[in-house]
Amino acid sequence: MYLPKYSFAVVLSLFLGTQTYAEVPRTDWGTPSLQGTWDFRTMTPFERPEQFKDKEFLTDEEISKIETDRAKAWEARGNVDFEEAAKSEGQQGDVDVGYNQFFLDLGTKVNGTKRTSLVIDPPDGRVPAPSEAAIARYVEARDMWARPPEGPEDRNAFDRCIKGFNAGPPMTSGAYNNIMQIVESEDFVVMQAEMVNDHRVIPTSATEQLPDHMRFWKGDSRGVWEGDTFVVTTTNFNEHQMFRLTGPNMTLTERFTRLDEGTLEYKFTVVDPDTYDVPWTAVMQMVKTDADVYEFACHEGNYAMPLMLKGARKQERDGTSKEDDTWLPSWSKPRT
Amino acid sequence: MKKLIYCVAALVCVFSFLGCAGQQNNNLPSQDMLDPPNLNGVWQALGSAHWNLEGQNAFKGPATDVLGALGGIPAGVSYVEGGAIPYTRAALIQREANREEWNKLDPAVKCYIPGIPRQTYMPFPFHIIQSDNKIFVAYEFGSNSRMIHLDRPGTRAELPSWMGYSTARWEGETLVVVVTDQVAETWLDAAGNFHSEDLVVTERYTPMGPDHINYQAVIEDPKVFTRPWTIQLTLYRRKGNDARILEYKCVEFAEDAVYGHLRKGEDMDQPNVKKLF
Repeated sequence: MYLPKYSFAVVLSLFLGTQTYAEVPRTDWGTPSLQGTWDFRTMTPFERPEQFKDKEFLTDEEISKIETDRAKAWEARGNVDFEEAAKSEGQQGDVDVGYNQFFLDLGTKVNGTKRTSLVIDPPDGRVPAPSEAAIARYVEARDMWARPPEGPEDRNAFDRCIKGFNAGPPMTSGAYNNIMQIVESEDFVVMQAEMVNDHRVIPTSATEQLPDHMRFWKGDSRGVWEGDTFVVTTTNFNEHQMFRLTGPNMTLTERFTRLDEGTLEYKFTVVDPDTYDVPWTAVMQMVKTDADVYEFACHEGNYAMPLMLKGARKQERDGTSKEDDTWLPSWSKPRT
Repeated sequence: MKKLIYCVAALVCVFSFLGCAGQQNNNLPSQDMLDPPNLNGVWQALGSAHWNLEGQNAFKGPATDVLGALGGIPAGVSYVEGGAIPYTRAALIQREANREEWNKLDPAVKCYIPGIPRQTYMPFPFHIIQSDNKIFVAYEFGSNSRMIHLDRPGTRAELPSWMGYSTARWEGETLVVVVTDQVAETWLDAAGNFHSEDLVVTERYTPMGPDHINYQAVIEDPKVFTRPWTIQLTLYRRKGNDARILEYKCVEFAEDAVYGHLRKGEDMDQPNVKKLF
């Protein structure tokens, strides 16, 4: 049975000059234990901002300043009159993306990697330019999301409660619910993100890829231990797969490495020749937490979907479908 | 791990005199020296408990116009000890009303999380991933799941939820799971059998060999039932290539029922289901 225990790995490697590992909990069968609840909030941007153009890492002083500035901005946001602020920007007030401090759970810390972005390859920290075909595919979907919905299928998978916007795969830090949990046996590792509570049961011994015609919303994940890193390959996404403009033929490789008692490194590489000419990679550190993953009964409480559909039908009746798009959240409106 | 399964299976055979030839072991350790049984794997209930816990004749379902013979509801036995669920008088009237329009009212028709115990005997497999202090159960239907806490005896949830809060202990070879804090909106089957927010379910998972689990659930809810009552069924291990759960994200299949009346060109005043928000 499973008995987590502590051990020091590869002490001799100190003398041999190879990579050494910190003390990490291990399973009874010898692999590092990934089990627990992991927090992947971070304020580190996904792509490197212009201000850090040629800078890969932050100094401790820079990190301290960035975090202090964020804390001040967060405090200031708590005092904002959203109704007035939104109106002054031509928005609808707090009915449009009206998330106050209670709902948002953004990261307040620079990620433990101390990098200026989560993307580490290409070296400029930016996701490569997507193909024209991928952009066209996205524009088509975006235009559909921007019109009054004829039925639920016109909305995206997140509005339909089929997928979580940050649950992946791959998992990425978002506005809230940036937490996931892992339970493991010798033969399987199960990962569950809080966002929409989706889970992946991942075999630990390399198994065959599913036939090409079998396609899932979250793809088909297969794992293997490479030394102390659990490597998960996911393929067989369905046609709705659109992570960073990728399509159903994306091959996602995630690498989970327990760095120490409280830290799990999460690195993923995106390969999708339909969308990107070259693979690209992002890395972040997740932090162990005692917090629980709660049930996220998204569909059971999806008031937004029937309201959007009712609104669209009312607009048709009133003949206002084209002139009034106030039902549409500003973040869903087409951007140039 | 496999050795452990065989060891446990042999023990069950020896102690229950099932006559498992060739598996006797004269040097078996005492029970308190053993690890708990290994329930890891993909399991599924067969039968008709998800249709009607009390048993029923086969009957014409609401989908036979488009599914023909595949749309009928199959016959089934009762999984309730004593045959019938001991409803209070008022609750029985409610159950009959539920049954009258079950497909318009059943939360699972809408792809709402079925709750416990119903999620266990939905006609889909589920995967148990067992560690020493947590057991995760991943269900194919709805991609639902629950965490069972072996390390939190006697605790309760901070909030109610559709799947409730599961704490567990081992009693010999039986995993005993107490499920509390479920919302009142789930049903126990598709026949209108229901409960209140006071529901407490005590599940007992007892291995009957390497490939079978005896599943028993004691259901207590004084608001709805005159006494605790028990269901019992068998969980079967899926094997070979079949031993994996796939994806059945039921939202996309429930949208016709839940939102169909709100599609373009449909009558908004004629919903397919009731009690929607």
